[in-house]
Amino acid sequence: MADTSIPLKINGLYKSFNDTPVLKGLSLDARKGDVITLIGASGSGKSTFLRCMNLLEMPDQGDIVVHGDPIKFKFDKHGRQPSDWKQVERIRSKLSMVFQNFNLWPHMTLLENVIEAPIHVLGQPKDKARANGLSLLERVGLAERASYYPTQLSGGQQQRGAIARALAMDPEVMLFDEPTSALDPELVGDVLEVMRELADEGRTMVVVTHEMDFARDVSNHVMFLHQGVIEEQGAPEQVLSHPKSERLKQFLSPRY
Amino acid sequence: MLDLHGYGYRLLEGGLLTLELAILSLILAVVLGLVTASAKLSSSIVIRAIAKAYTLVIRGVPDLVLMMLLFYGGQIGINMATDWLYYEFDVDIFVNVDAFVAGVITIGIIFGAYMSETFRGAFMAVDGGLLEAARAYGMRPWTVFRRIRFPLMMRHALPGLSNNWMVLLKTTALVSIIGLSDMVKVAAEATKATHEPFLFMIPVALGYLAISSVSEWCFMKLKARYDVGFGAEGASWNN
Repeated sequence: MADTSIPLKINGLYKSFNDTPVLKGLSLDARKGDVITLIGASGSGKSTFLRCMNLLEMPDQGDIVVHGDPIKFKFDKHGRQPSDWKQVERIRSKLSMVFQNFNLWPHMTLLENVIEAPIHVLGQPKDKARANGLSLLERVGLAERASYYPTQLSGGQQQRGAIARALAMDPEVMLFDEPTSALDPELVGDVLEVMRELADEGRTMVVVTHEMDFARDVSNHVMFLHQGVIEEQGAPEQVLSHPKSERLKQFLSPRY
Repeated sequence: MLDLHGYGYRLLEGGLLTLELAILSLILAVVLGLVTASAKLSSSIVIRAIAKAYTLVIRGVPDLVLMMLLFYGGQIGINMATDWLYYEFDVDIFVNVDAFVAGVITIGIIFGAYMSETFRGAFMAVDGGLLEAARAYGMRPWTVFRRIRFPLMMRHALPGLSNNWMVLLKTTALVSIIGLSDMVKVAAEATKATHEPFLFMIPVALGYLAISSVSEWCFMKLKARYDVGFGAEGASWNN
């Protein structure tokens, strides 16, 4: 039945907001080392799809299987709910998310942000979490900023810090929700560089992005979403250079 | 030396009672305020309605009336309950509503209603994305509250909290009507006996002022504690 070697498997996901369907039967297989990019116009459902993967949005239908562990659901008066929140928390801790607006906790220093979940979710001892956190901050080029608060950092630094926070969980899969969309253009490069390094070392990643160069050069699978369905998907050179559907051609054509 | 006609010690005792009453009421009010604020933000209509009814009643009725209602009504209610236990189950117990406990409960309930509004606004001021990030990392609801939601909320709640505390402190003077000898009651008695109002009321005023000054300092410390990370460090902004 469930293949435990696949970090993240999603099957037939449906989601509506107030009777407006936004996801209409989406599936995805993230094998180890896969970098999957989700592209599409705003409103296509790509962010909602990503947010359903760790249940920040509740899908109305469909299966989410993390390393062979399918999330269990039940139905009650609020609709479909997970029947075991402990399982959800366990699975969430394996799917670190990086947000568009960084969402670093402003009352904690950068290092405190990085070690918060390892200590309070994974139960790591403080000194081990600190040592690990410092080395992760070093990796994203922020070792000197460890004791800074988020408001004292630029957007690019905050997002690299948020990536370090995600890495500190040693996640099975990293979920990126438009990680560069809130950044000034000159700060985008540093963040993409860090993400490229993660891809190179074999991290499994699902990335919602508008950066077509990243999709082309770094990811090994591109999914184009349109109005809640996967209109086209495949290897980046095939999907991005030889689009078949009219909509994707339109989406990829220069707009000016 | 100041001659307080032998009332000095009782005045001090009254001051201590005021302080104890105020601090215990504050604790109860904060707990009730947090619970009620969470209830007001709940997705259940029933829970929201209960919380709303509580604040509506408490804020719409004078403190003095509430205090007498809760004190006498509480005693009558308990008597009815113990009578019932006696006739139905032959259990004979006697519970006397202690004036101090009644005072703490009444003031706590009154200010819990005001606190709930302060906390509700403060909870709503916290950026939802920060809570979402906490949940996305697998934090349990209690961990999210303790580590993220509460400290971020407190920054917004402190001004209202400190205001409520000052009013609460002075509301403790009402307990004399249910028979407690707080410092105002003692001073009033002493004034009647000696016809020297200033001799007793000025120390009482100074007593309240001393407590509020110390509180002011405590709230300053708390503000500094919860402002950490919000640009108060004065460190350079780096790009």
